[in-house]
Amino acid sequence: MTIDATMVGRSYAAAESYQVGREKIREFAAAIGDDNPAYTGDDAVAPPTFAFMLGSRALEQLLNDEELGLRLDRIVHGAQKFSYTRPIKAGDDIAATATITTVRKAGDVEVIMYETALTTVDGEPIATSTSTISHNRADS
Amino acid sequence: MSSISAGEVLPELTVTFRREDLVRYAGASGDFNPIHWNDRMAAALGLPGVIAHGMLTMATAVRVVTDWLDDPADLVEYGVRFTKPIVVPDDADGAEVTFSAKADKVADGLAEFDITAVFNGEKVLGRSRAVVRVS
Repeated sequence: MTIDATMVGRSYAAAESYQVGREKIREFAAAIGDDNPAYTGDDAVAPPTFAFMLGSRALEQLLNDEELGLRLDRIVHGAQKFSYTRPIKAGDDIAATATITTVRKAGDVEVIMYETALTTVDGEPIATSTSTISHNRADS
Repeated sequence: MSSISAGEVLPELTVTFRREDLVRYAGASGDFNPIHWNDRMAAALGLPGVIAHGMLTMATAVRVVTDWLDDPADLVEYGVRFTKPIVVPDDADGAEVTFSAKADKVADGLAEFDITAVFNGEKVLGRSRAVVRVS
């Protein structure tokens, strides 16, 4: 099976919501070397790129779609963009849904864009993540 | 809220990525792709060596802007293209990357920054832009 433009519009919801914890935000901020005080304490917000991690459970579902035939070890992350309605904060319970928006093919390489909507489980919009990935189907 | 004029440049940030930083980011983010910690796997994929996570570079680059903002929650949009890998050697020196940002448009309560990341004299991010609320 292989991905093609007819698969644009397919949507993949994360199997479980992501509960954002204060200590996970602290751990992530430490890992990116960012000591901004906004990322610690009871009212902690998450650093901007924390949003990418919240989309990974939806991406997992996309990669599990056998009809697309994608393999994680053949994927290169080409571009990434986030639009924020509000910052992610400790205590948020977040649902993620990834939707394929573009598929372009150039030989063995497929360039795929997908958009991940992050909302609270109650439907409040938080952020949208737009990712561009290249998938190489060539046998190396 | 922070304020700025078009053309102004924010203070630079220079960061050294070492192997231990990649391992720490792998653990915190859950991205355990071995090209970010294993020389053998990186070589098998034709890479010049173990490379930094693109998302770690992206996270570090925006600090130039969020360090300047009174409140990082004023960031409304942020995007990058990953154009060149940052090779991180297995030594004490690591890979030094310098980040800078320039406001190239300020209008309607929003400032748009062009962010630059330079490693080994070459830009490693393309079209790296952050939009923030300003007063």
